[in-house]
Parts: sequence; C-alpha cells; structure tokens
Amino acid sequence: MKIVDVDKLSDLAAALAAKGYRIVAPVRDGDVVRLKQWKRGDEIDLDAFTVNSVKDFLMPASEVIGRYALDGDDFAPEAVAAEAPKTVVLGVRPCDAAALAVLDAVFNWDYADAFYNARRAATTIAALACRQADEQCFCTSVGGAPDSTAGADAILRPADGGKRFIVETLSEKGEALVAAAGEVVQEGEAAADAVAEVPVRFDAAALAARLAENFESPLWQTLSLACLGCGACAYACPTCHCFDIQDEGTRRESVRLRNWDSCGFGLFTQHAGGHNPRPDQAARWRQRVMHKFLYFAERFGRLACSGCGRCARLCPAHVSMAESCAALMAARKAAKR
Amino acid sequence: MNALETLRADAARLLREGRAKVVIGYRTRGKERAPVFITDASGAGSLVYDAACRQNLAAYLRKPEVRARRPAAVVASPPVMRSLVLLAAESQIGEGDVVVLAVGPPGEGGGEGVYHGALTLAETARLLKEKYALLAPRPEVLDRIKSLAAMSAEERAAFWSEALAKCTRCYACRAACPACYCTVCIVEKNVPQWISTAARPHGNYAWNLIRAFHAAGRCTGCEACEAACPQGIPLMLLNVLVAEEAAEAFGIKAGYDLDAEPLIGSWSADDEEDFIR
Amino acid sequence: MSGNLYEASVMRIAAVREETPDTRTLRLEFADEAARAAFFRAYRVGMFGLYGAPGAGECALCIASPPTRDRYVECTFRRTGRVTAALADREAEQRVTLRGPYGNAFPIEDWRGRDVLLVAGGMGLAPLRSVLWNLLDRRKEFGAIALAYGVRTAADLVYKDELAEWAKRGDVKVTTTVDPGGETSEWRGKVGLVPAVVEETVPPNQKGVAAVCGPLVMIKFAMPVLTRLGFAAKDIFTTLENRMKCGVGHCGRCNIGGVYVCRDGPVFTLEQLRKMPAGDL
Repeated sequence: MKIVDVDKLSDLAAALAAKGYRIVAPVRDGDVVRLKQWKRGDEIDLDAFTVNSVKDFLMPASEVIGRYALDGDDFAPEAVAAEAPKTVVLGVRPCDAAALAVLDAVFNWDYADAFYNARRAATTIAALACRQADEQCFCTSVGGAPDSTAGADAILRPADGGKRFIVETLSEKGEALVAAAGEVVQEGEAAADAVAEVPVRFDAAALAARLAENFESPLWQTLSLACLGCGACAYACPTCHCFDIQDEGTRRESVRLRNWDSCGFGLFTQHAGGHNPRPDQAARWRQRVMHKFLYFAERFGRLACSGCGRCARLCPAHVSMAESCAALMAARKAAKR
Repeated sequence: MNALETLRADAARLLREGRAKVVIGYRTRGKERAPVFITDASGAGSLVYDAACRQNLAAYLRKPEVRARRPAAVVASPPVMRSLVLLAAESQIGEGDVVVLAVGPPGEGGGEGVYHGALTLAETARLLKEKYALLAPRPEVLDRIKSLAAMSAEERAAFWSEALAKCTRCYACRAACPACYCTVCIVEKNVPQWISTAARPHGNYAWNLIRAFHAAGRCTGCEACEAACPQGIPLMLLNVLVAEEAAEAFGIKAGYDLDAEPLIGSWSADDEEDFIR
Repeated sequence: MSGNLYEASVMRIAAVREETPDTRTLRLEFADEAARAAFFRAYRVGMFGLYGAPGAGECALCIASPPTRDRYVECTFRRTGRVTAALADREAEQRVTLRGPYGNAFPIEDWRGRDVLLVAGGMGLAPLRSVLWNLLDRRKEFGAIALAYGVRTAADLVYKDELAEWAKRGDVKVTTTVDPGGETSEWRGKVGLVPAVVEETVPPNQKGVAAVCGPLVMIKFAMPVLTRLGFAAKDIFTTLENRMKCGVGHCGRCNIGGVYVCRDGPVFTLEQLRKMPAGDL
C-alpha cells in the first residue's frame, strides 16, 4: 500500500508544488484553522475543523463573471477567463468532498457554469478520513460517513496511531497526484486507525416527509428565535451556493461580480415593488432547512447538506442544524386542517 | 441561594407574575453557551452565566418576534447593561420594555458570580455608574492598539490588509451587535451603492471601517462582534480604538447615561473645532 | 470566454416610447445577427430576459414583444431601482445588454381553437401584450379573444395607442377600467377593480383559457372570479415575479418550494400555484 508519514506532510506539499500544483491545506491562522493556499513554512493542521470549506476554491466568495469597458453610457464587452490554477486540496473531510456533488449538480443544471467547471476540472480533492468527530458532526444522518470516498480523487486514511497515512487513489487525478508526489509517498504496510464514530441524530428520509407536512408549524419561529440573520452558516456551508450578481467599477470599467449570498439575509427575496415573501427570520430559517432537506432533494435526488456541522460551530447565536432537524422530528405532526 | 439560583428564581417569578413575557438568557450546549428564550417559569432552571457567555443578548431586542414579547427580561453583564442603556438613550427601547437581570462580570464574587437583581433601566444606569464606571477594554487589546499606532503607515496598512482579507462579508459582526439595528444597513443600499458588497479588499476595508465609525461613541466593549466573526478578525482593535477616541476627544463612554446625546448626532456650542460652531 | 453563460448580447435601442412619466418601452435590436437568430430559435411567449446596463447591473423583465415579430425585442419597465433607472436614462441609438430567453412559456399551441381571456393589472399588461400580439398575429388559430385591463388611474395606462388599435380591430374584445377615483372627466372605460369588472363583463360557463398578470393582490382576487366563471385550474395561467439574478436556476433566489421561478416558470397554472407554499409567495 502507499504510505506517507504524518511528519512528511510539508514535504508532500512541497513536492506537489514543485510539480505545478497550487496547494490548499488546513493551516493555522491565529485562533482558527483555515483551508488556505499553503506556502513553505505554513504548518498543516489536519486535526482541527476548518472554519471554511473546499467550496471557497471552487466557488469563491467573489468572482468576476463579466467585464465591460465603459465610455459614458456606451460599453464594450471584454473577455473574462476563469481563474482555474491546477490545485490540490489536501485534507478535505469526507463531508466536504461529498458536498461537491451538490455544487456539481447545480452548476450544470442545463446551463453549464464555465467558471465553476474550470475550477472543478483543475482541482484534485485529497480527502482525509476522520478519526475524530464532535457533537455537531452528523454526516451519518445524511447518507455520509467519516471515511466516505464520495467526491474524492484520493483519500488519506490515518494509520498506526496517527503516525502515517495510507494513501488510496480513487481516480485518474488521484493517481496523477501520487505520481507527482514522488518519493514522499512510499510503498509499505500500515494498520488503518479506527474511524470516528458519528451517531445518527435523525432520519433524513423521515425528516423530508415531516417537513412537507409542517410548513405552517409554529416550530419555525421557536427554532429561529436565536437566529440573527447573518450569513455565517451559508458561507461556511460546503453545499450552500446561493449568490448575488453585482456590477461594480469606475467610470472606465465595470466588472460583473458573482458574490456569495444567503437566504438568511432579510433582503434576499425582496421584490422591487416592496413585497417580501419571507419577511421574518422564521420564514427564512424554514426556507433554509426545507431547501436543504426537501426541495433540493426533490429536484436533484440528493440532500443539500453533508452533515459537516460547520454552521453550528460557527453560528454566533449557536443555532444548530442537527438540533433543529432533531426537534422537527420530535414534534407532533401538524394538525389536519 | 447563590447568585445563579437567585437569578433563576427571579426569572421564574417574573414570568409567573407576568412582569416579563420572555426571559432571554444563556443555556449550556455542550461546551458552549447558547441563547435561550424562556416563556414558562419551569424553564428558568436552564439559565446559566459564566465567562463562556459571549453573546450580547441585547441584540435580540431589534427582532420583531422578540419585541412582540415585551416586557423582556434580559440576562445582562456590565457591557450588555450598557448596551441596554444605550438602546434606551437612542429610543429603541423604553422603561418598561425590559427587565434587566443584572449580573456582574464573570469571575466577580470569587467564582460564585454576582447577581444584582431584576432592575429597571434607571436602576441599571445607576448601578453602572456606581459599580462599573471604570470598565476598561482588556489590556491585551489596548497594548495591541498601541503597537499598531507605533507602526509605520505601511506596516499598519499591511496588518489591516491581511486581517481584512479574511472577511467574507457574512455580517455576523453586525448581527451580533446590539448597536446595529438599522432596518436597512448602509451596505444594503444600492442607489447609490455606498459600499461594495464583494468580499474583496476594497469593500472589506470600507465595510469594517465604516461599521466601526457608525459605532463611534456607541460601542460598549462587549466583544460580541469579535466572538461572532467566523474568521477570527480582531475587530476589537478597530472598535476599541474608536471608543477610546470618543472618550478622549468627546468625553463619551457609551451606555452609562439614559439621557445621553449620541456622539455623531449631537453638537455643542463649546466644541473645540470652530467649523461646527 | 467561450461558453460563459453570463455573456450577454449587445442590443441597440431602436426606439423609446414613454408610456407614463415613470414607465417606458424600449425596442431593442440585436447587434449580432447570429445572436438574434439563436434568440428567436428559443423564444416562445412568456419567457423573460435579463436586461442590463453595464455598470448598473441586470434586471429580469418579461419580453414584451411576441416571437412572431422576430426583428426586435421589447421590454417595458417602471423606473424603480438602480438598473431600471440606468435603463430609463438611456436614449435611442444607445446600447444595453440582453441575456435570455429564459424560463417557460404560455402553452399557446394548446390554446388553438379555444377562447382566450387575458386579465391584466397595471404593469401586468406587459407580458400579456406579448401574448395578445402573438395570438393576433396568428388570429385564425384561436377562438374568441378578450382583454380586461385595469390600472389605478387613467394616467397609469400603458400601451395607450395599442389599446385603441386593439379596440378598433373587431376581432378582440377590449375592456379597460380604472380604480374607483382614478377616472378623469374624459374617461370612457369602466370604473372598478379588475376582478369585479371581469366578473361583471365575462359570461359564465367559460370553456377556454385565461391568463392573469398583475400585482399579487389582484391575482389573488381574480383567481376565485375566474374559477366561478368556469375556467378550470389547469386552464388559468399567471406569471410569478420574484427577485432574480442569474435567471438559470443556479443562484437560488427564486426558489419557492420545489420550484424555481426562472426554470419552472415564470408561467404557472393555478393548479401548479396551489401546490406551492402560499407563505412563500
């Protein structure tokens, strides 16, 4: 089997960088660990939960999708190219890797998003099986697992008490990655460590049915009372993909930007005429949960949630998706009208 | 009864007697403290208060769903008490809208905690002036501000460029702050688009600096914004800088005086600067 | 960039008509013939486009001219926000952008041989004007056609010249109304809210199709009237307007229940509407 020692991670990154890969890895950044572009000297921290997900590198927080030279009221369209450097993301948790299927589906729903697809094609996902989970993890409740290989090109399985990783390639990109790593990845034997235990917190299929019956439930207000309507959860979420399009620029040039947005913001659905279909946080929280666990599933055949738990960990008001779903399951069915 | 037990008993009593329709406090969730909205006296036992409580619960008073349940009792440490007094000074809440369940800062009272009772806004302002007039920002924050001031302009710009590059424009800072209660935030106005909404250096600078300015003389040092920031941006280095300036140049410390005039919204004939006279 | 779905067609403003002090119609012509041909290969009445003024942005508006007139595209809009203000400030010969056509269409092929009632309120006449011209350009294929159009005051009427033209044709019945209090001394049309006027002027036992567009509140009151007049729920059509950005189902903004207004709509039947969560409309 192919092995890489845990203290050779920086060497692995350096070897891949020498072969032309942009390296993205979990790096300590002050008080947080963040998936970011690695440079020599950065310490890779594979144990912590990152504040951001692999989404950042496929659908960046702000991206140019159009460009115009301006001349008074006149304009000339200019060429726009996706920035899609050859990239490897090291240490992607299986929940994040599985989430890519959601983004792949949306960004190719009849209209192919060339920006997303260029980055996706240029990115190799090197997943990392989880040895630890915390109380906000719920991958097993949404069809995932702490050692799932869905969405990954290669997976590193912790072995020998965390001293090394067994490297398994899952696709051509994964094989190319291992080939590029050269001698840092060696042939050898190792015993895979036990994978994290993630108890199932709710039944997602039953939840979908419960949601369908409970659109009018007063529970939405109770569950959303703590929510302050920011975008921390949506931005951290590896499956959330809602965006805004804005033109910005000077008198001489305008760029059309695709920026992250969130259904949790008050103005997300505001009509020009003044009507807002979701005027309060309860309606917005309901949309968030129902889109992830019912509407998206109906449309695309998969949940728009991979159970990574980032939303709950990062929420300034400590709102928890897993807790909300469990509460909805525990509630009685809505009374028949 | 110790401080926490007394707090819980008061909360239960307020609900039973109808003197509060909701008690907004903190409950334990794993290693963290999450907000709790208690409407029945039986729920008061879940209230806790300690150093892990980092949210400023006064922020909830801008939510219509919470305002519909006034009078609201709010568990309030000194910075949160100051936020409540500030909101009253800015006419967002009135006496009778809130009952302040006043607690001392975590660690006061030798670990047992201190509970000052269920107070009116006027009593809260008095308590703040009598017992918590000398609240100061944490020394680490002041030290870092000093070292930033000692840097060259280029070094300081480099520091802030790097810090603000992490901003994703999630507005958790705004959401967590009780002083940010505008129904349409300046960043949400687009005719004209005052501040770029993109998570790019230009817009990130504008957003974070302008929010700090809009909180000038209004920040009560609760640090809920910095606690809320998912990216770990040291927001207090901005907010405390502006707050210290407001105190030194204009003698204003937010949240002690129910009748205070807002720093940005008032002027005096004695102002140092002659352009305003 | 080839294959950039956000690349828009450049359009020249061929004509401007000020409908009211704050509403105008632009007639746009494609700068590129291949783009025009591609557009009209796809366009069927009911679809919408994203009209843009680079520097200000794009906004989703219906396509107010029919596919039967394939040399130009028209849009009618009210000056409301940043983009409509930029479009309102452009003059003839200046340029704007257009992305589309997007969405679904009124199934007018299924309407052949049937009577068609169009009910419009305020700016809702824009999509229905497109439908009406489409039907009139193929007049023989359809049964009796009627238009009921209401506005708040006589000054709010759009397409004034066309209203007169339609009324004069003889092969379409036109009824116009203003809200009580909105009439002028010269007003010769009806006075009353659109749903009430429809109930008053349209005979019962209808077997054809109806399409209603306008403010949500008007649609809400018009639906029961149309039902009482005999139209089946699958034969009553409306268009939903939602805040839109991408127009292609990616940005998530127009999602209502299991439906995306930009993909499954904007045209919906009453039957479909009833399946959507009312609290999200």
